[in-house]
Amino acid sequence: MKRRSALVAALVAMVAAVVAVVATSATAKSSAPAAASSASRSLVSCKRGATIGLAAPITGPAASLGQPQRRWARFFVTRWNAKHKKFKITMTEGDTQLPNVAEPTKVAQSFASNSKILGVVGPAGSQEVVATTPILKGAGLAYVSGSATRTTLTDGSRSGFFFRVVPPDAVQGPTVARFIVNKLKKKNVLIIDDQETYSTGLAADAEGTLKNLGATVSRDSVSQQASDFSALISRIPGSVQVVYIPWQLPPKAQLFAQQMREQGKRQILLSSDGTFDPTTYKPAQEAYASNFPVSAKSPLIASYKRSHGGQPDFFGAPTYAAAQTVATAVAKACANGSASRAEVRANIRKSNIPPAASVIGLRIKFTARGDLNGGRFGLFKVTNGNYTPVG
Amino acid sequence: MNLRLVRGRTADVLFYAGIAAVVALLLKEALTNPGHWSLFFQLAVDGVTLGSVYALIAIGYSMVYGILKLLNFAHGDVYMVGAFIGYGILTLFGGAANWTIPVWLLVALMFGASMLGSGFLGVVIERFAYRPLRDAPRLAPLISALGVSFFLQNSALLLLGAQFRAYPFGLIGQGGVSIRTVFISATRIFVIAGAVVLMIVLTVFVRRSRLGKAMRATSYDREAAMMMGIDADRVIASTFFIGSALAGAAGVMFGLVFTEIFHFMGFTAGLKGFTAAVVGGIGSIPGAMLGGLLIGLGEAYATGYVSSTYQDLIVFSILIFVILVRPSGLLGTAAVQKV
Repeated sequence: MKRRSALVAALVAMVAAVVAVVATSATAKSSAPAAASSASRSLVSCKRGATIGLAAPITGPAASLGQPQRRWARFFVTRWNAKHKKFKITMTEGDTQLPNVAEPTKVAQSFASNSKILGVVGPAGSQEVVATTPILKGAGLAYVSGSATRTTLTDGSRSGFFFRVVPPDAVQGPTVARFIVNKLKKKNVLIIDDQETYSTGLAADAEGTLKNLGATVSRDSVSQQASDFSALISRIPGSVQVVYIPWQLPPKAQLFAQQMREQGKRQILLSSDGTFDPTTYKPAQEAYASNFPVSAKSPLIASYKRSHGGQPDFFGAPTYAAAQTVATAVAKACANGSASRAEVRANIRKSNIPPAASVIGLRIKFTARGDLNGGRFGLFKVTNGNYTPVG
Repeated sequence: MNLRLVRGRTADVLFYAGIAAVVALLLKEALTNPGHWSLFFQLAVDGVTLGSVYALIAIGYSMVYGILKLLNFAHGDVYMVGAFIGYGILTLFGGAANWTIPVWLLVALMFGASMLGSGFLGVVIERFAYRPLRDAPRLAPLISALGVSFFLQNSALLLLGAQFRAYPFGLIGQGGVSIRTVFISATRIFVIAGAVVLMIVLTVFVRRSRLGKAMRATSYDREAAMMMGIDADRVIASTFFIGSALAGAAGVMFGLVFTEIFHFMGFTAGLKGFTAAVVGGIGSIPGAMLGGLLIGLGEAYATGYVSSTYQDLIVFSILIFVILVRPSGLLGTAAVQKV
């Protein structure tokens, strides 16, 4: 009897809990747009300074990408604060732990609920941008990425909220394809992606254009975590003229190049912006790399190298530009002593930072959908760590 | 048919039929085109090199499990620390490009320091993370092992940074041996030979030495061994030292062949090493060696003949098959529970 009544009590408690959860979520849903809209318009006092957020993979498997982004973002904040004594920028950092997409949503949530944060630098990965959009957009925050290149991110669904200071894959892939067929005059290409969103998207874009240009294309892929490529290299047929590796990690590309050399494979090696790191990626064979135009001769790069043990961390450099974009917009919005997230978004949309002040060597100005206006990729010949522009 | 229930002769028939099918497929592929022989043997070289590293890691898992029935998930990270110790020695003597002492001495120091450092790390982990939990429910040390793994990973990240560090390419020598179209680099020969020597030394040590016999006795029955005067704590600490030292050696070997090391490298390698130990029969040292080699070869042939895209899928499918028909692994023995 006792057992039966305990069972009934448990059932009643469960039903009550379910009803409570449903009711709460329904209320939350109905009030969400209002909350977002009020968060977007509410004014934050920012007379002497303001706070921005940085979402980057600071730990985890992709920390080698997130750490340079953090260093470049911190480098920006230090320079800004040294120059603007009366308006200091504070940066709140969130670790997104790419490729774990559960983490960036937590980071986005913490930024959204922190009323002091007026704009966000990042996230780094395209999949992270997709995962965080509902939260950041709902909170009225603008987010400017220094590395998310998936083409569809600027399909119009994030207009006015999401911006990026790197050109999309739709520009990079075809640029590489045209270079292979028109400049190198090669028609048999093997594309090996690293199974990450960045790489597979870029590989698909290049493959499409290569086929349209009449080239023979074969595809393969290998895990980004792999270190032994020897079996994969063993099966590359002699008929292949160019091996294209649109990878994210320069050390892995270097390893691939070394293992190709070890097996006596003589194909031309072509890689993407992810591998653009003269200190790490130094293949001994004929090689080329595409890159968004980080201005290698910029005094900013020289200054960064001086303060970071000679490392240029090229991959992180666009994050400086992203931080610069957000901070400039925030400072403008705070000119009258207070600002809202909506004002910051509007200012980012109207960004116009001249090439001389931008580490990417291009004017920072955005299209209506958030892409960099006139963003393009360059091709570089890589000879023992020297990168010479060739197209 | 429920494969889990397959036992005895049927299991053996299924198992050997599976092996025969895989070998037949490989031979068919190689014979279809005589030119494919070179690919076949090149892949064998690639697979054995990688397998040697997996085998050394697997031995550590197996030894610890054999004695404590504990899955030491921090073992992969000990291997990572070993790789970094080797790199540290390299940096100490001039760095990747300009080392200041003869190469043979440098390599010997790298191995020596890495094995000693990793060995002591293993002992410290056992002393502080596992020994206090020896009589706790079995889940507790498992969680502790995961905690140690994260601790080591993040400590390396904090102290050494997230960037990859590079061993010099061809430190042992740029040359190698060419047999027709198959090329084996000097580094690969060194690594394979080094792994074989370490495994032979370990086998002889465990079979012949006093401590080795004490280890075997402790793994059979710890309480009985203690009643016979064996100091179980010392034996367990020694087991951790030896297993971790081998992982350290594997870390340096990995650096020599594949050059790039980083703070997260222990995760995947640890997973593969653990799988190798299970496939070979966890608790069995020869089984760990065999499991490591099989996984290395499986990865190489899956990549070479199918695609690297499906490499892990193929390898782990084969492994699931092996475990289903031989739940205690290839060379493992089924534990008898006395009640």
